[in-house]
Amino acid sequence: MTLSTCILLATALFCIGIFGLLSRRQPIAILLSVELMANAANIVFVAFGRYRGGTTGQIFATFSIALTVAEVAVGLALVILLYRSHHREARLDRATEMHG
Amino acid sequence: MTRSITLALVTLLAPAGAALLAAAIAPLRKRGWPAAALCILASVASFGAAAMLLLDQLGGAQHEAWTAPWLESGSKAIAEIGIHVDGISSSMLAVVTLVALCVQVFSLGYMHDEEPPAFGRYFAYHALFLFSMDVLVVAPNLLQLFVGWELVGVTSYLLIGFYFRKPSAAHAAVKAFWVTKFADMGLLFGLLVLFTATGSFGWDAKLSPGVATAVTMLLFFAVVGKSAQFPLHVWLPDAMEGPTPVSALLHAATMVAAGVFLVVRADPLFAQAPATRAVMLALGAGTALFAALLALVQNDIKKVLAYSTCSQLGYMVAALGAGSLVGGFFHLTTHAFFKALLFLCAGSAIHAVHSNEIGKMGGLARRMPLTAGAFIVGALALAGVPGLSGFFSKDLVLEGVEGKLGSVPWAALLFTAGLTAFYMGRVIFVAFFGEASSEEAKHAHEPGWSMRGPLVVLAALALAGGALARPFTRLYGEREPYAFHFGTSSALAAGLALGGFALAWVFYGDGRRTVPAVVTWVEGVAETRAINRIYETGFRSVTLPFAAALGWIDRYVVDGLINISAWLTLEAGRGARKVQTGYAPDYVLAVLVGVAGVAAWAVIQ
Amino acid sequence: MTETLGFGVVAACMAISALFVVLSRRLVRAVLWLAVTLVATAALYAMQGASFLAGVQVLVYVGGVVTLMIFGVMVTRRHDGITVTLDSTRSGRAAVVALALFGIVAFAVRTTPGLDAPANPPAVTTADLGRALLGEHVFAFEVMSFLLLAAMVGSVVIARRKDPSPEPSRKGAAAPEAASPEEAE
Repeated sequence: MTLSTCILLATALFCIGIFGLLSRRQPIAILLSVELMANAANIVFVAFGRYRGGTTGQIFATFSIALTVAEVAVGLALVILLYRSHHREARLDRATEMHG
Repeated sequence: MTRSITLALVTLLAPAGAALLAAAIAPLRKRGWPAAALCILASVASFGAAAMLLLDQLGGAQHEAWTAPWLESGSKAIAEIGIHVDGISSSMLAVVTLVALCVQVFSLGYMHDEEPPAFGRYFAYHALFLFSMDVLVVAPNLLQLFVGWELVGVTSYLLIGFYFRKPSAAHAAVKAFWVTKFADMGLLFGLLVLFTATGSFGWDAKLSPGVATAVTMLLFFAVVGKSAQFPLHVWLPDAMEGPTPVSALLHAATMVAAGVFLVVRADPLFAQAPATRAVMLALGAGTALFAALLALVQNDIKKVLAYSTCSQLGYMVAALGAGSLVGGFFHLTTHAFFKALLFLCAGSAIHAVHSNEIGKMGGLARRMPLTAGAFIVGALALAGVPGLSGFFSKDLVLEGVEGKLGSVPWAALLFTAGLTAFYMGRVIFVAFFGEASSEEAKHAHEPGWSMRGPLVVLAALALAGGALARPFTRLYGEREPYAFHFGTSSALAAGLALGGFALAWVFYGDGRRTVPAVVTWVEGVAETRAINRIYETGFRSVTLPFAAALGWIDRYVVDGLINISAWLTLEAGRGARKVQTGYAPDYVLAVLVGVAGVAAWAVIQ
Repeated sequence: MTETLGFGVVAACMAISALFVVLSRRLVRAVLWLAVTLVATAALYAMQGASFLAGVQVLVYVGGVVTLMIFGVMVTRRHDGITVTLDSTRSGRAAVVALALFGIVAFAVRTTPGLDAPANPPAVTTADLGRALLGEHVFAFEVMSFLLLAAMVGSVVIARRKDPSPEPSRKGAAAPEAASPEEAE
């Protein structure tokens, strides 16, 4: 439960999230990975908050949760848009019209 | 700046100014008469200044030179431009400007029927020519002479090809340019050798015999081209495609004489190369004879005069080859007068009959007495009939070549004098006497005063030019004053001249048209166009493939380098584009790699 | 001792379920594994004394976000309902980057002194949090409410249809070029 252990745990979660972000084809799967990463960040906030005392850590975590929720909402709307404009298929590797 | 230099500058700058204005201000040129007026005014100024300069020199003024540095290497001047005034340049300048003025005034009438833009263009070219020729004549060193040389070559091209829409004229202009340009290599290389040997372009240097021979032979090669000597004479007959006044000025009196002028100028160099002089003597005499034979068989009056020019230039070259500067140069002077006269008279006749063929003329003496009279004066002078200017100059030439090279050239030149009289007599009898041979000839009439005036002036000079012998030879630097003595050469020349005319009357007088055997034989030879064919073959088999090869190198090697670098750029772009996959997570990967890098760097610090 | 054991169990749960989130072949299962991870996180918060936050985590994340994800999967699924997701071509690179980052941070953590001091700070109550939210951080609090409003409205605007769309009747997800794509917006 020490601070460093918590940080390491959070980092592990964050890196797992990165792996998922980079290697998944479905946009929703990518969103899930982003969730993981945000969640890991929250863990760090809370851990440091406990270590230093005071409310700041948890307040930050609260706001972070709110932000993440907003981002997920908009992200899912975009996924629906993508699904509709690509012949009812949500595959990110087919959505490469912006290629060079 | 002294009076002499100023006067010389005026002769140069007046036509330069006229040419520049006519070139730059299009309305002057396109309206026709403004350009002509400018040009003639400039020529008047030019001649006025040249005349004053000549009178000064005759009065004993100093030789002067003024130079300004042109090409510099560090602080040392390699080449200079400027003005060199002495007897030779001042007399040549006077002759050139006078004949140019006469020809230009004549052109006012002769070219009257041209469209205004062409009319203007014609006079602009004339102004440019006069400037170029003056640059050549007053050159203080051989490099500036070369510049003037090339410039007159360009104006010659422009004027021969004046009727550029006519394929034969365009062809002739290009041929003239190529042949003379080919010969100009000699001048260029000669100058290079001279500079390498002496470090300057002057003509006063002392050279070792080998170098002197090399330089003079190279310079002479250029003379062969410019003065239409065998075998580079082929461009001169074709150059008759240009308007007749142009033929009179450039291809009789002045430009082709530039070759002779070069030898006169560089006389100190040629004096050190007896081998070159021997070649000049032989070649000059040979050309004189060869060209005179060809003049016999021409039916185009201008071509007769063209070959005649070729022949007379041969006289001058031979004289210089024999070491007689006086002979060569004075003959140049008299030839300028009577040959220009002959051409202008021919122009008058052509204008009246609308044809160059002597066969279409006939009986013109009755209808155009002034023209006929002037032409006869010119012909007599050319043939060297005693009393006229040509007699004295030819006499000087013959005196000069007598005894050299076993007197073979002397004999050839004498025989040529007879031929000269004969072919000129033929033209006179066929074109000016007898019955009119065509409708136009029946209605021929004298031209306007603008065309008659110059004829009178030039005829006077052709007639009385012998009087100039004494003052001019003094100008050329002869120590002993000129005194004419009637020697063997003189007698033989006079006899042959008169005999030639008599023989011409036998064959062609009174409307007869008997053709001597020699004429038929020469015609046969001339038909083969052997020399022209040699040049054409050489051109086709050497020059064109060489040009094609260079063209290939230009397209594939030189351009190839550019193309390859362009191709490389495009390929690099194509490769670089692959980074942009359009797949968002790939971009995230790139960002994260960057983040990892920064984090690592931050941690390590 | 028990604390450490508890922590270990929770941590293990979290890590293993996170792995399943990113490696699972079926999208719905991935979402559910995420739910497990989030619950484990809530347990961790509770163990650390942040009980309010644990509650918020369960309510908002698990209850809200996960539900939203399930809906998203339902709306964007293929006709036969199965969604397979792993892209193997890029996972190599991804693993390298992830491991690299982890290594760097771990190294940083290990080499930073003083992170292991035992801490027994005064507990933070929900009342304290309330006072902080409406006191020190009131401005951010109000702005956040605007943000949530904007996100709500925005997502509705983005995802709405312009005109009634025909139901898809063709088979398969391999998009034929001939079929005209729907009006996206």
